[in-house]
Amino acid sequence: MHSAAQASNGYEGDITMPHTRSASSQNAFFSPQSAFYSPSSQQTIPTNQVASSMELLSNNPFFNVGIKAVGDSMKDITGKTVNMLPNEMKKSLSSIKDYFAVDQIYVMKKLSLLLFPFRPRNWSVGYSADGPVPPRVDTNAPDYYIPLMSVMTYVLVAGLVLGTQNRFTPEQLGMHASSALVWNIIEIGLLCLTFYILNIQSKLRTLDLIAYCGYKYVGMIAALSSYLATHSLFVYRCSLLYVSISLSYFLIKCLRLKILPDTSGSHTYNANGNARRVYLLLAIVLIQPLFIWYLTRHLIVT
Amino acid sequence: MGFSLYSLIEAALLCVNAVAILNEQRFLSKINVNDQNYPGAGAYGNDHQNAGGAKQQLLTLIRSVRTVMRVPLIAFNIITILFLILFG
Repeated sequence: MHSAAQASNGYEGDITMPHTRSASSQNAFFSPQSAFYSPSSQQTIPTNQVASSMELLSNNPFFNVGIKAVGDSMKDITGKTVNMLPNEMKKSLSSIKDYFAVDQIYVMKKLSLLLFPFRPRNWSVGYSADGPVPPRVDTNAPDYYIPLMSVMTYVLVAGLVLGTQNRFTPEQLGMHASSALVWNIIEIGLLCLTFYILNIQSKLRTLDLIAYCGYKYVGMIAALSSYLATHSLFVYRCSLLYVSISLSYFLIKCLRLKILPDTSGSHTYNANGNARRVYLLLAIVLIQPLFIWYLTRHLIVT
Repeated sequence: MGFSLYSLIEAALLCVNAVAILNEQRFLSKINVNDQNYPGAGAYGNDHQNAGGAKQQLLTLIRSVRTVMRVPLIAFNIITILFLILFG
């Protein structure tokens, strides 16, 4: 029982740690508790409520021992399976960790960029020796934090909109989440297929493409919340138009340097290959507003 | 709008089935006749991206999908048929 009490103290200590570390931008990626708690202080309020309910659970000593055992075995299993993977996948798995290395300043800058990209600025991404720079260092680098959070926020906001129209049931939340996931998979699969068939070799990695395709959910949330605030179809359509224009501008500026050929002439490219790249870039940029419109129109009631 | 992960899996299975049942004789050989003579000619030099490469890539993709997925498709189809019979 003494060791169980120690285990319970250790567990509560792990829970209260993120509150003190919330301002720091350095956190280990893979430990079961810190993977759940993000470093930004904007989210200490939800973690307060989660922490209090977890403390109620953690007063049970058997639960603590069970949690420790499960955590250790999960670390063991994932360590073994990760070591079994081929080397390329190991590299991309560790580089996914880079995509989550964000801090508050980056998130604020990126969000304001997504909603107002029209100021003249430098859009090139810095490169380190090994690969792309993590987003904490360079504002222009893509990340996975904003798309992930905005997908979840989109599901919640969609539930909110349905609630104001008395159409809400809890299954709708799951349905929206799964359909967002499915449409994402379809979109990214089709884009990768198009890249392969048109035989375009560009600096854009698949992981970057996934990040760039996830930025449209921020626009969706903006359009939906403007509709929620005013309940007017005209405001919704105006915000949809503005969000589409700013997202298209943002994507063109970001992807232009990666997909279109280098103008300094260090690579030789076919004339037909250039046209294909332009068409592909246009296709990517035009698909996004289409998705924004399609995924929000069923929530709007005239 | 109400897509689920299961309908995505179903659609993907149907598409891969469609690719697997393309008839070699009637369909693929006709496209191959127009293109087989091309890649031997200008493959030297720094011409990385072929002008007619889209068709070549598509044919390579179709052929590799057929070769790889022939046996696993049988298993997937049997499993899906069983699921549909048991669970509607």
